[in-house]
Amino acid sequence: MRCRWHEPFRVAALIATSAFISSAAAAGLDAAVIAKAKQEGQVLFYTNLIVNQVVRPLAAGFEKAYGIKVEFIRADSQATILKVVNEFRAGKTQADVWNLSSGLDSLTDAGAIAKFKAPSADAYPPQYRDPNGTWVATNVYVNTPGYNTDLVPANVVPKTYQDLLDPRWKGKLVWKPNDISGATGFIGNILTAWGEQKGMDYLRKLAAQDINPVDASARAIVDRVIAGDFPIALQIFNHHTVISREKGAPVSWIAMEPTTLSLQIAGVTTGAPHPNAALLFVDYMISPEGQRIFQQVGYLPADPNVPAQVPALKPEGGHFKGNVLSPEALNAGLDHWTAVYKQLFH
Amino acid sequence: MATVDIASGLPGRAPGAAAWWWRAWRDDNSAIAAALLAVVLALLVLPPIGYLVYGSLHTTLPNGAAGALTLDYFRTLLAEPQLARSALNSCIFAFGSAAVAITFGGVQAWIVERTNAPLKTFAVVGAFVSLAIPYILYVVAWLFILGPHGPLNDLARLVTGSQRPLLDVESMWGMILVEGLLWTPLAFLMLCSTFRAANAAFEEAAMTCGADTLTTVRQITLKLATPALLALALMVFIRGIEAFEVPALVGLSKRINVLTTEIYLSLKLQARPDLGRASAFAVVLLVAVSVLLYFYGRIARSASRYQTVTGKGFRPRQMDLGAGRWIAGAVVVINFVIVVVLPVLGLLWTALMPYNQGVSWRGFHLMTLANFRTALGSGGMIGAAENTLLLACATATVTVALAALTGWLVARRRRGAWLLDQLATMPLIFPGVVLAVAMMQIFLALPVPIYGTIWMLMIAFTVRYLPYGARYAFTGVLQIHRELEEAAVASGASPLRQWGAVVLPLIAPALAAGWLFIFLMATRDLSMPVLLSGPRSQVVAVQLFDLWTNGQGTELAAFGLLWTAVMTVLAVAAYVLAERAGISVQGD
Repeated sequence: MRCRWHEPFRVAALIATSAFISSAAAAGLDAAVIAKAKQEGQVLFYTNLIVNQVVRPLAAGFEKAYGIKVEFIRADSQATILKVVNEFRAGKTQADVWNLSSGLDSLTDAGAIAKFKAPSADAYPPQYRDPNGTWVATNVYVNTPGYNTDLVPANVVPKTYQDLLDPRWKGKLVWKPNDISGATGFIGNILTAWGEQKGMDYLRKLAAQDINPVDASARAIVDRVIAGDFPIALQIFNHHTVISREKGAPVSWIAMEPTTLSLQIAGVTTGAPHPNAALLFVDYMISPEGQRIFQQVGYLPADPNVPAQVPALKPEGGHFKGNVLSPEALNAGLDHWTAVYKQLFH
Repeated sequence: MATVDIASGLPGRAPGAAAWWWRAWRDDNSAIAAALLAVVLALLVLPPIGYLVYGSLHTTLPNGAAGALTLDYFRTLLAEPQLARSALNSCIFAFGSAAVAITFGGVQAWIVERTNAPLKTFAVVGAFVSLAIPYILYVVAWLFILGPHGPLNDLARLVTGSQRPLLDVESMWGMILVEGLLWTPLAFLMLCSTFRAANAAFEEAAMTCGADTLTTVRQITLKLATPALLALALMVFIRGIEAFEVPALVGLSKRINVLTTEIYLSLKLQARPDLGRASAFAVVLLVAVSVLLYFYGRIARSASRYQTVTGKGFRPRQMDLGAGRWIAGAVVVINFVIVVVLPVLGLLWTALMPYNQGVSWRGFHLMTLANFRTALGSGGMIGAAENTLLLACATATVTVALAALTGWLVARRRRGAWLLDQLATMPLIFPGVVLAVAMMQIFLALPVPIYGTIWMLMIAFTVRYLPYGARYAFTGVLQIHRELEEAAVASGASPLRQWGAVVLPLIAPALAAGWLFIFLMATRDLSMPVLLSGPRSQVVAVQLFDLWTNGQGTELAAFGLLWTAVMTVLAVAAYVLAERAGISVQGD
């Protein structure tokens, strides 16, 4: 994500300002909950967010506001799920708050996550929170194509999905095979946006383009595009290109409609050792000042009222259509999209 | 007789039983030591293996629990559409990597230990630096250097004028080269101790009979090192079959599929963590490795033919290569350039750039230290570095201690040797993630409160690195002639005393090399800390991985270089300390 964490002053200033408003924002939560949370004194956060970019600023802001210590463990979604589920099944739940970007159903099926009521979620649109109350979005991701501006002249930049079928791009496209920020997400986006028949017709034609699979993170794939190894990456995070562009890299992103919009979601574990602090921390992350921390460090805040630092990166600010792949849509579709990848592209 | 039998079963006869045990201990205390060792190793190794086999035979329920008995994982493994081709690719890849590692490492080890070539220190420092570079970075550096926009292809374009890149690293040879280079330090360190212990008398005899240097090396030096070379080849081969990162990073885009890319990609592609297929694959490998070990054991059984360290003046002499010694020195330096200078320069270039790009004049004007500032300013590093060093030291020490005894018992084919060898080698085939999940479930079920602590990680690491320690000790012992231990027996020493007083000092250099190797490997292990670290037992490798997933490549390079510098200093310090203590890792 956007790397502002090496600017400690900025983060410190941000935390100082957020401390002012925190008491007002937490007004939604029962004073008794806050008092109990302070008694518990700490909260353990399992997340796949990047520690030095956003987890530390969030933890520092929360500690400053409530005097409650945040400990954290960072691992990717699959590893986080393995930990939460195994610890829960052994009756030794460690985490208070969980946070991930895919695989929610594993936690639900295991019964490892609890319902909660965070007042700050009321301001969120329905697709950003669970009607059953087990999760809420902390931030969003926009996945869409990115390209090397030296290798792809402005007049031939593909604007639509149809443009990607141009024979000139045969063998020139790259994606990572798994994940929402890869082939699986691209396929899911097309199939949910256009329906099965039209979507499959399109994907069959796309398969003829001989897309290069690269097993690296979406960020690393952007770096390969910048270096000129591939002209176009199909499913990268749009804000990564902005960060590199600011440093002079020949890279840009395309708002190819509809873009994939996916959610980073958080909630409380079943049997959390510090249940009140857990609730308070979740509410803090989605409150306006928690969201401003996401904004300040370059992430895209989930709260529609908090714009991104570069507003054009979010659908509301950039005026482009985003197709929300909700956790439920992911649960329902992921196996099918993976099968399509294997069948057409592998 | 019957009365004795009955009597011995009575509780009143306990002193007799104690006496029996005492006599047994005095006669062959190594058998009891072996039994104790087998229990310790079994406790370490068998629970995760049990988990592995169980996991390969049971479905995973939606709630993460084990479901019904199934053979499906094995069936889908066999039904893999291009099983034969990926298996063949795997074998080519693993065999090629072993050949590269042993050739690069072996030639250097020979020059360092057996010749009077100059500039040998380069080889030792090279081994340490390349082990200190974080695994992912080392692969990334090579992809950069050999890549379509890397300096080598740019040079080739300048020379030939052709637009097409000369070298295509995304190919089988690229995969083999990168994986082989990764294992070169292992081969170098292990073969150093082997060549050092080779008795010069045989070589001198050959020379006296008129053999030239090459013939001597071929006919004597290499033949004497056969068991060590085979042990090494076997290990790198197994690791090659099991390797995932290099085939995935280098070969995937050209669809050069090996067994692991087929299997782990399926694992990554699915939404739910289901380790059944990976477990089934590991079980198949486990069986294959047991068979290989059986054949290897037959070679090792005739190991007495290779024992060269005898009671009669064992310190080997170095060959005088004459003018050729400068060529040998050049080989060492060229190797140093390939193994260390190129990747480090590649990383340095990347670390100094504001964004990822090839080497160019334009780039020189863009150079910045911003990435290094970012790396130095990142939080949590001190705690993670402390944890990492503590963990690596503890792991290396415990593992080498276990391995020292295991290696001797196995090499001498004492009672229980086969079992010990199997137990100490099996962890080699564990996929990191499967071992980590097994350890997680085992420690969650135990009433001891060490889950999530650094000690749980240490136990998991000990299991993982046991095979390496055992091979270092084993090849060290192979060359020590039994007559030295027999002399100790004649003086009335018990087997364990033979080991402690005679064998241990002689294999100390091999153990020191093993310790350093395990220490450095442990500092960069990623797959297990990701799952097993608690909030207060975070390690550096995981922090590096954060940058790999979500930081710019330029920041990753800066971070990695700083860490490499720290680790190199530590490794060299440990090496100097070992030299001072008389445990020479490198010959003189």
